Amino acid sequence: MSKYLIFTDVVFKDRRLLLAALADVGYPDAEQGEALSLFGYLGDRRPETAEIVVRRQYVGAASNDLGFTRTEQGYIPIVSVYDQRTLHQGQFLVKLRTAYSERIIEEVRKRVHGTARRTVEGSLIKIKVRY
Amino acid sequence: MPEIDFTIDPATGQLELHVKGIRGSACQDVAKLVEELLGTPRVDQNTPEYSLRTEVRPHVRPKGNR
Repeated sequence: MSKYLIFTDVVFKDRRLLLAALADVGYPDAEQGEALSLFGYLGDRRPETAEIVVRRQYVGAASNDLGFTRTEQGYIPIVSVYDQRTLHQGQFLVKLRTAYSERIIEEVRKRVHGTARRTVEGSLIKIKVRY
Repeated sequence: MPEIDFTIDPATGQLELHVKGIRGSACQDVAKLVEELLGTPRVDQNTPEYSLRTEVRPHVRPKGNR
C-alpha cells in the first residue's frame, strides 16, 4: 500500500484549466464531484477525498487514484508516493504545472484578443503575446 | 504595441511574465488576469514603465508666489 502525499505548495487555481492540463499530459478522463473517495491500486478505499479524481485504471496497472482537493487557494494534488515516483519518470507534477502554465497563456491570449509566438530558448519555453 | 513575455521553465513548471509597452496601472490589469488564473505571484515587481503614468496633473500655484 502506497501512502498518499498532499502537495500544499502546488496549487492550480482554475478548475477548467486544470482539467485541460490533465488532458494535455494524458489524463482526459477526470471525475468531478464533491469529496470523492480515493482508491488504492488494490481497490481499497482511502481516507483522502478530492473534488477532481483521475481513477487508477486511467493511470497505470499498479497506480492509485490521483486526486485534486479544493482549497481556498485552488486545487492541490494528492498523489501516492508510488505514483509521485513513477509517473512520467517522477515528473508528473512538473509536467502538469508546465501544461497548466501553457493553458494560462492561451487563456490570456484569448482574453486580450492577441496573437502568440512560441519559441524555445535553451531549456526555456518563451511565449510572446501581442495585442 | 503592448506585449506580454511569458517564460516557462519545463524543469519546474514555473511561469514568469513580463508586461511591456503598457504604462501605469493598465499593466496591473494584465497582472490581475494572470493572478486570477495562476494565483498570487511570488514576486511582483513593477518595471520603470509602470511609473510613467499617463495622467495629467493640474498645476496649482500657491497664492503667495504670484
